[in-house]
Amino acid sequence: MREFKIAEPRTAEEVAALLAETTEAAALIAGGTDLLDELKSGVSKAELVIDLRGVTGLAGIAPEKAGLRIGAMTRVVELAENAAVAQGFPSLREAALSLATPQLRNIGTVGGNLCQRPRCWYYRDPQVVCRKKGGFQCYAFQGRNKYHALFGGSGCFIVYPSDLAPALISLGAMATLGTAKGDKTIPLESFYALPDVDVSRETVLAKGQFLKSVWVPPPPAGGKAAYVKIKERGTWDFALVSAAVAGVVKDGALAGVSIVMGGVAPVPWRLKKAEDVLRGRPVTEALVRRAADAALEDASPLKENGYKAELVFAALKQAVLAIV
Amino acid sequence: MRGKAYTSYARASAAAQARPADRKPGPAAESPAGEAKARDFGIMGRPTGRVDGREIVTGRAVFTHDLKLRGMLIGKILRSPRAAAEVVSIDLAPALALPGVAAALKLAEGRVRYAGQQVAAVAAVDERTAEKALALIKVEYKTLPAVVDWEKARDPNAPQVRDGRPNVDKLNEYVRGDVEKGFADADVVIERTYRTGFEVHNPTETHGSVALWEGDHLVVYDSTQAVHGVRDGLARALKVPAANVTVIKNYMGGGFGSKLSLGEYTVAAARLARETGRPVKILLSRRDNAVCVGYRPSSCQTYKVGAKKDGTLTALALQNIASGGIVPGDDVAEPAVDLYRCPNCKVEEHTVFTNVGPQRAMRAPGHTPGMFGLEGVLDELAAALDMDPLELRRKNYSTKNLGDTGVPYSSKGLDKCYELGAKAIGWDRRNRRPGEGNGSGTLRRGIGMASSLWSGAGVPGTLADIVLYPDGSVEAVCGTQDIGCGTRTHMAVVAAETLGLDPKDITVKLGNSDYPWAPISGGSLTTPSVAPAVRDAALKAVERLKAVAAARLKVEPGDVVMADRKFAAKGDPSRSATFAEVCRDLRRETVFHGERDGLPAGYAYNTFGAHFAEVEVDVETGRVRVLKYAAVQDSGRIVNRLTAESQVVGGITQGLSAGLFEERVLDDTTGNVVNPNLRDYKIATSFDIPAIDIQFAEPDDPRINNLGSKGLGEPARVPASAAIANAVFNAVGVHVEEIPMTPPRVLAALKKKETGS
Repeated sequence: MREFKIAEPRTAEEVAALLAETTEAAALIAGGTDLLDELKSGVSKAELVIDLRGVTGLAGIAPEKAGLRIGAMTRVVELAENAAVAQGFPSLREAALSLATPQLRNIGTVGGNLCQRPRCWYYRDPQVVCRKKGGFQCYAFQGRNKYHALFGGSGCFIVYPSDLAPALISLGAMATLGTAKGDKTIPLESFYALPDVDVSRETVLAKGQFLKSVWVPPPPAGGKAAYVKIKERGTWDFALVSAAVAGVVKDGALAGVSIVMGGVAPVPWRLKKAEDVLRGRPVTEALVRRAADAALEDASPLKENGYKAELVFAALKQAVLAIV
Repeated sequence: MRGKAYTSYARASAAAQARPADRKPGPAAESPAGEAKARDFGIMGRPTGRVDGREIVTGRAVFTHDLKLRGMLIGKILRSPRAAAEVVSIDLAPALALPGVAAALKLAEGRVRYAGQQVAAVAAVDERTAEKALALIKVEYKTLPAVVDWEKARDPNAPQVRDGRPNVDKLNEYVRGDVEKGFADADVVIERTYRTGFEVHNPTETHGSVALWEGDHLVVYDSTQAVHGVRDGLARALKVPAANVTVIKNYMGGGFGSKLSLGEYTVAAARLARETGRPVKILLSRRDNAVCVGYRPSSCQTYKVGAKKDGTLTALALQNIASGGIVPGDDVAEPAVDLYRCPNCKVEEHTVFTNVGPQRAMRAPGHTPGMFGLEGVLDELAAALDMDPLELRRKNYSTKNLGDTGVPYSSKGLDKCYELGAKAIGWDRRNRRPGEGNGSGTLRRGIGMASSLWSGAGVPGTLADIVLYPDGSVEAVCGTQDIGCGTRTHMAVVAAETLGLDPKDITVKLGNSDYPWAPISGGSLTTPSVAPAVRDAALKAVERLKAVAAARLKVEPGDVVMADRKFAAKGDPSRSATFAEVCRDLRRETVFHGERDGLPAGYAYNTFGAHFAEVEVDVETGRVRVLKYAAVQDSGRIVNRLTAESQVVGGITQGLSAGLFEERVLDDTTGNVVNPNLRDYKIATSFDIPAIDIQFAEPDDPRINNLGSKGLGEPARVPASAAIANAVFNAVGVHVEEIPMTPPRVLAALKKKETGS
């Protein structure tokens, strides 16, 4: 394992200040389930590790403006077991429960899950210097790409692996960032950025910024939501494709509808074209097929991931039918 | 130190066993010879808890990974990042200059032929220093063209993996009868191609060794399936007498065939230890496990099979292309050549060399992929004939090997396995025709089965000792290995059964090359090799004890009966002596040597079995779930029902996992394994394993050995992927024909069925 310095700030302000001032490559550690692996293998070159565990005010789930405020240091297990989440946001609970294993959920945090690095096997190979790591090419593009991006890949074909992100974005969650100049709130959807913005990172976090919490607005009247995760094995698996659907069901049709997919693009992928097809029309399997086909107009399959197109339909259908 | 290190384990083990018996001692066998029939065993065949279970689950058992010896250095190996290169130079000096580095070695000369091949090694005071030192070694490579994908390697213009020799080589040929005539006689002929990928052994405990020299004697603690083989290999590699090498393997976290031979890392550890005069420990990483210590080679099997309308096979032809990296792949033909009655059979197998690490034997090499192909084509033939797949198998049942043209099987309980398994799974519930009915929404259910065939007869000449001490304590000693399958407990069970004691009364010593010779723990050899040798030694001990008891009881030896830790005069239980008293009369420790007998000629010795699976396939996601499973094994006499069931559960789990998930993925350009971890190389989890019904069709093999026992480890693995694939075929009406049956492959097969191409 590489040698690194560790900082143990006590307040969010100190975290922002540390991030803003350091001249070294810095990484935040929350649960550490992934960062430690990255440090051991040498994929992470962090010289300064900032431990968030001693920072006050970052953990916990609390009601706020009829919605829920979820601190970045909240353990995934707490999200999965929280009564208010189960009551008002079943798709978020489902996403939390579908994630990794009980051991990892006990240690992993909401913030860590939302800020995790990609699982692309080329990125994770310490011997490979791909575009994301400052190299010149995406090895997955012409290499082995069964698990890679169907949408939105440009020069880097990772998929964003989070289960929580699609569910939260479909519910209209807002992200609160700590910065040296105070907090800043943006839609969680805008928190993620495609590789053509900056291939080296997956979020818009600028120097000196970090994720403090997310806020989920109260569900609208008649609002329903579902999260469906298609994976290869029964547990401990990232999504091949996952679908988070939230909407208001009225007379067998979806009024407001938001569809976000995981496992298909370098960011949680909003299927706006599918939303347009579904909105206001009586839901049938044929309509879902049309919606999926509309979304798939934007797909650019690689050699080995074409099957994901079929999973987009399957996941969408399961999620839509679960709420209608 | 060697003796001491071992003794401390032995003492710990003995202490763990010195608990009050919770089982009645078994009745002893009365006659040493010709006793294969009508035995009423007290312990054997019933479930016996592992004698070392408590040590293992409490973490007290010492594995090779756990060893910390005084002054021990940590060794690390530098590996080639290139799939093919000329090593121009290796400069160790910068590594040696690092404080804390004790020694460094060059391990590669000339060519490296795969990414991950060893190049150099260091030994340092701790892991971090060793890692830093590796990074300081300067290696100059001249990169050469490489070929990684076996299909590309077949191209005559592809880079040559071996100097001056073509990449494609013959592997196996076999002919019996005239297949062309057989196909001409057939009413139905089908041809299908089945593919199996690269499966990594991934034992829980990765490979590793600790080496130390005591003067000119080398002691190696190794995570190995073969203490004697590693000893002989080390002696050759280091040019020292085998008598000066001791290899010890006390506890082990699995091998599955990847630890059957001497490891390069073991030789490196021994050399570094010799150079430094200190113990050196080298452990391989999980990544190394996927890169340089083997995997199951791939196969691409094309079967052409002809049959009469009633299912009688007329001809069977197999062409296979295997790939095992820089070494040959596996011959997969034996199931096709052997299992079904068929007068005409032809096999042609080739292997393709690639710039990939060498394959190693993996749980039933050849048979496991071969059975996937053979049983697949049998089911597709049954569909073409509109016949019950089980009826087709019964129709072509053989009682002699080589497709009923060779010598008789000494015992074959496969028909009984069919019967018991069909009943257990509810065979009548299957789709009458593949893909017909049975399902709701996007889910389709189906039931399939496959047969098992493997050798597993054991090795004549295996040795074991029973040692009786004057205080009545008993040792069973054998230079075999318990690689996690329960061999310690088997030895205790057989010794206790024979001596009228409880398994907990027996101190078992194994895993040391100084002990009497035993073969590798692989090939399903262990039980049918070791158990008969222990039995033989224990029977000799009984004979002596009876003679000694007879003197004490003043009766003829033939009039002594042994039961319940006592020797008594026949018909007069009041005249008796305890086991301990009789041992005391031996006056000193006494060793009884046992040996596993030869196998009578003129017979084929094989294990059999049949597995039945019920699956559910989601035709929209391509996901396969196994709902129910029934396994019946013919492995002859079962020694310990509990560990036997564990073996079967393990075999099915591994087969399910390989059938649905496991696949090593190589990058064609770099030759790197892109999923050398347990996240991307997916192994079945407990969520994926269904309820499993296990039965043993236990025909006692009348001549295989003095217990009638055959092997079990591999037979339980052989049919599992095949049975699940056939169940998928029954569910959806198209055979996926390639494992693992991942969602993309299942979806592609369904599409093929839809479009009819």
